[in-house]
Amino acid sequence: MKPLIEMINVSKDFLQGDVVISALKPTNFTAHEGELIGIIGPSGSGKSTFLTILGGLQKPTTGRVLINGNPFSELTNDEKSKIRLDQIGFILQASNLIPFLTVKEQMVLYNKITKTKANHEWMDELFEKLSVDKLKNKYPNALSGGERQRAAIAKALYHQPNVIFADEPTASLDTKKAFEVIKLLAKETKAQKKATIMVTHDERLLEFCDKVYVIVDGVLTLKNMSNKNQG
Amino acid sequence: MFLAIKELKYTKGKFALIISVIVLVSYLVYFLTSLAYGLASSYTNAVNKWDSDEIVITVDANDSIMMSFMTAADFDAVEVDGTKARLGLFPAVINDPDAENRLDSRVNVYFFGIDNDSFIKPKETSHLTLEGNQVIVDEELKKEGYEIGSMIGVSGTDMEFEIIGFSTKTTYQTAPVIFMAMSTWQTYRYNTQTPPDLFSGVIVRGLVDSVSDNLLTYKTGDYIATLPGYTAQVLTFSTMIIFLIIIVAFVLGIFIYVLTIQKTPMFGVMKAQGISNIYIAGSVVIQTFLLVLIGIIIGFILTVVSGIFLGDIIPFAVNTLFYGVITFAFFLFAFFGALFSVRAVLKIDPLKAIGG
Repeated sequence: MKPLIEMINVSKDFLQGDVVISALKPTNFTAHEGELIGIIGPSGSGKSTFLTILGGLQKPTTGRVLINGNPFSELTNDEKSKIRLDQIGFILQASNLIPFLTVKEQMVLYNKITKTKANHEWMDELFEKLSVDKLKNKYPNALSGGERQRAAIAKALYHQPNVIFADEPTASLDTKKAFEVIKLLAKETKAQKKATIMVTHDERLLEFCDKVYVIVDGVLTLKNMSNKNQG
Repeated sequence: MFLAIKELKYTKGKFALIISVIVLVSYLVYFLTSLAYGLASSYTNAVNKWDSDEIVITVDANDSIMMSFMTAADFDAVEVDGTKARLGLFPAVINDPDAENRLDSRVNVYFFGIDNDSFIKPKETSHLTLEGNQVIVDEELKKEGYEIGSMIGVSGTDMEFEIIGFSTKTTYQTAPVIFMAMSTWQTYRYNTQTPPDLFSGVIVRGLVDSVSDNLLTYKTGDYIATLPGYTAQVLTFSTMIIFLIIIVAFVLGIFIYVLTIQKTPMFGVMKAQGISNIYIAGSVVIQTFLLVLIGIIIGFILTVVSGIFLGDIIPFAVNTLFYGVITFAFFLFAFFGALFSVRAVLKIDPLKAIGG
């Protein structure tokens, strides 16, 4: 399996007053294509630091991040922006839909920014898979929480990124909806050979993950999934 | 462009409010400009019509052409590279001898005494020859019911003049001008059948080489600035106009800034997703321009409509150059207003959009 995003010996230190705080201890991490990886940990454990360094929003103190085998963390902010736009899909808590664009326009925005032609076939296919085809002309306000998350997933998948970051994707959903959303995410990750990295508090979702890591005090460890059945 | 327009369409109410402010202010600015220009023109139309370069009056007159008395010898002493013309200028009150109540028909005017072959005689009346009690009057007097052949009485005298033609754009200090032969003017001015051969000033097209010591030469523009109230009025209007444009820039700038701050989380997410600063800031600037554009188009249409309906009552004059400058100033200042928001966009940290 091809590694899509890698962290090599990455650490992050903050200076708070005169005290150096180690938010992330030296960490190695790889996500391969087709993998749905869960990241759990208490608040303040370094989850956000981990995800933001992976996404190029913060520079690591040591080490490097590679996307698709190419250097990423060393690039300038503008270059990193461009790579995020093309290669990374984000599913955040509800807020990543733009309130004044319809579901369809959320997709088209990517084409407007990159000055490319909208791929309507692929869009319709996605809408059907995620059963948002009837919602495509609605604004986010008119959607329920579950519909909004499905639309957000469609948006994250539309530009065919290699890596998907999901930050508490089910935070506002009830169990039934949350399971629906996560199953979809797992299925699309496999079908389209993405690497999906999901940060969550919700332990019920972990059974859908191929691997689960725990972060405590800046140390990332692979969780033993002995109780996991064959996924 | 895409984002900017979609947002305008989605939050129509909010943007309609700010557009209405721009409409009102731009309407006021365009309207004031037309009014100021119209008023200034009605002060100076007759002077501008001379198409002169310099004006000579006596030193003793202290900038007031009406208090200037020049002799034939003075005229000869004005040596010019170009042409020169004698002008007699004095205010008068006219009335309509045929009116039921002559007092109700009083109009303030200026009598210009000119020579028939002079370049200061309005072009459109060059085929007419002024003799005796014949006069050419500004077309403003048509509104009072005068026509060719009408008689004009002069208040305080028993003189009467006959209108033989109308001139256009010949007002002086907002009053219509009445042109007459120099000798007729002198008869009125000195109120005697045997007046002295004195006149008010010399209008020069070209450049004055030399004048006698008792005379003073003005550039035409400098002379206009000495007209009573002219400079004060132009200054007052331009100050109002400039301040209105600056105020609208502030209002617009603050409004856009507040909207931008409200959208900080959204912009944060967009930046995290890799949408560039340039695209986001560009869309803020485009939005500002669209608001100004819509606002000033409506404001301008209102001005044109007002001009059509009020043109007869107020001195409303169109000047495309001024409109162009004002429109440019609106956009320029609106851009400065938008810069605050652009700065705010640049400072948004995408880090806050994730986790936290």
